[in-house]
Amino acid sequence: MADLSSGAIPRRFNPWPVTIFTVLFILAVLFLTPTIGVLLSSVKTTRAIALGDLWSWPDRLYLGNYAEVFSNPAVHRYFLNTLIVTLPATLASTALGVLAGYTFAKLPFRGSNLLFLVVIAGMFFPPQVILVPLFRLFNSMGLIDTLWPIFLVHTALGIPICTLLMRNFFATVPNALREAAILEGANEWQVLTRVVLPLSLPALAVLATLQFTWIWNDFLWPLIFTQSDEKRTIMVGIVNLRGQYTVAWGVQGALSLIASLPTLLIFLYFQRFFIKGMTMGAVKG
Amino acid sequence: MAQVTLKNIKKSFGPTEVIKGVDLDIQQGEFVVFVGPSGCGKSTMLRMISGLEDVSAGQIGIDGRDVTHVSPSKRDLAMVFQSYALFPHLTVAENIGFGLKLHKTPKAEINRRVEEVAKTLQLEALLDRTPRQLSGGQRQRVAIGRSIIRNPKVFLFDEPLSNLDAALRGKMRLEIARLHKELKDVTMIYVTHDQVEAMTLADRIVVFNQGRIEQVGTPMELYHTPANPFVAGFIGAPAMNFLPAEMLSEQQVRLGETVLDLPQSSALSGAVTLGIRPEHIEVSDGGEIMATLDLMEKLGSETLLHLTTPFSDSPLTARVDGAVELTEGQTLRLKFNPNAVHIFAASEVRPAMTA
Repeated sequence: MADLSSGAIPRRFNPWPVTIFTVLFILAVLFLTPTIGVLLSSVKTTRAIALGDLWSWPDRLYLGNYAEVFSNPAVHRYFLNTLIVTLPATLASTALGVLAGYTFAKLPFRGSNLLFLVVIAGMFFPPQVILVPLFRLFNSMGLIDTLWPIFLVHTALGIPICTLLMRNFFATVPNALREAAILEGANEWQVLTRVVLPLSLPALAVLATLQFTWIWNDFLWPLIFTQSDEKRTIMVGIVNLRGQYTVAWGVQGALSLIASLPTLLIFLYFQRFFIKGMTMGAVKG
Repeated sequence: MAQVTLKNIKKSFGPTEVIKGVDLDIQQGEFVVFVGPSGCGKSTMLRMISGLEDVSAGQIGIDGRDVTHVSPSKRDLAMVFQSYALFPHLTVAENIGFGLKLHKTPKAEINRRVEEVAKTLQLEALLDRTPRQLSGGQRQRVAIGRSIIRNPKVFLFDEPLSNLDAALRGKMRLEIARLHKELKDVTMIYVTHDQVEAMTLADRIVVFNQGRIEQVGTPMELYHTPANPFVAGFIGAPAMNFLPAEMLSEQQVRLGETVLDLPQSSALSGAVTLGIRPEHIEVSDGGEIMATLDLMEKLGSETLLHLTTPFSDSPLTARVDGAVELTEGQTLRLKFNPNAVHIFAASEVRPAMTA
């Protein structure tokens, strides 16, 4: 063994780890560059941005943009509106996905596989296709310029992905567990809430994070369904924040960063589940 | 009164009929073992009794009540699964008390009964652990604990020992036998493909084959008077030998060149199949049946002899005392115990059973 460690046999150079690292590093830089640009502009005055180039290091840390964002009552309203839409829609779509997924995974019926495919097919419709009909529908119901359409559309559009994920996860929970619980006297609801769901927390956390992020960051639906500033959500609000004659890059940058904080926090909180949830089912145990 | 009654039970999955009409009465306090090769329908039968599987036709009664269409939780029975089916996110104590908690039993009462059960099954030290921290045998005991705590009328066991290694299996077998003795009035229905488990545990064995019951009887009845070659071949290890023979008269059968006198007369005539268990063959100088010793399996206390005879293609197995000294290739004289010879109609023996 001593011979081996003394380097008697020259180790062949393996190029793969280096290549993979380089590629990943370049990708990370590409992904982070816009964020860094936004971060830089958020700590400069509008004048400095207009004079210098975007990527220059600021002469001094200017926090006025952040102060302006935090003191702007419209921003408070945007945040509140986004929360009012995102939390219930995340909850509703996940809950419906859990119920539908459980039915498809554990209580199959005649034609359930076909129905499952139909539900999943919903994922592949581009939203633009249903945009005009939905606008007319909600308009006729008098719901335009309220938060209701955004909540309803996100709940509905979330069902396919939620159902798919939860069904596939529930399918990995052994049937014997359900049967054991039933023989112990549990009804289907108790099987779900006391046995299957507690075992599915990682999947649930992943799904809730994805849904939350997607709904929080959405731009299209709030743009279409809301008109007045009082009903705007945060992503539409960022655009609205520009002044009448000037584009307030600094303020917009500050708000952009603040707006992405909730999703980042949610991800950080659930990230232990994320890794677990994504590899779940790959190996037993 | 019978505790569990099965009347003409049938079950089909699509066009495939897996249970083809089963009638059975199980008495209170009885330990009944369903045994049979894989795919014979024994597990399906158990799942139908539990209610986890619907019946296609027939009637299931428990305690005089027709439960054919009653939900599993209202049948007052408990089941121990092959995979244990413990809830991984709950502790041992929570697993055992799961059913009581669902039935809204007061907490103090649950704790008291969990401790009682844990004491019976020697699980006291493990109550705070989760299933993944337990060994196979401990998991199985927790699964049993979960089923006995509710004092159900009927216990169902679905191959509970088949995931355990051989040594532990023997130990758990004893524990289950002891448990049945302790819980006197409790009916147990136990599914296994292991005939040793069936023989040692059962008050009565039900032998299943291809969706039908071949024979019902006590272990010794099945061993001594099997109704047909299937049962004869299934009960007893190593399996019974089947040899072609010919009836000369009601009490005389010819095997190769040898004529055996039977103690009882047989209604069969002409070509028959003679069945003899390995333990009823003796190597003796006075024996008239000649056989060549191909292979020996020395098990210590006893030795299994694998032999060929000139009058049959099928190999013959004999079980002799471990002290007997023989060499492979040797020609032996064998003596069949006439009291232990079984005569079956030749057509009854299917090739698979003699293998």
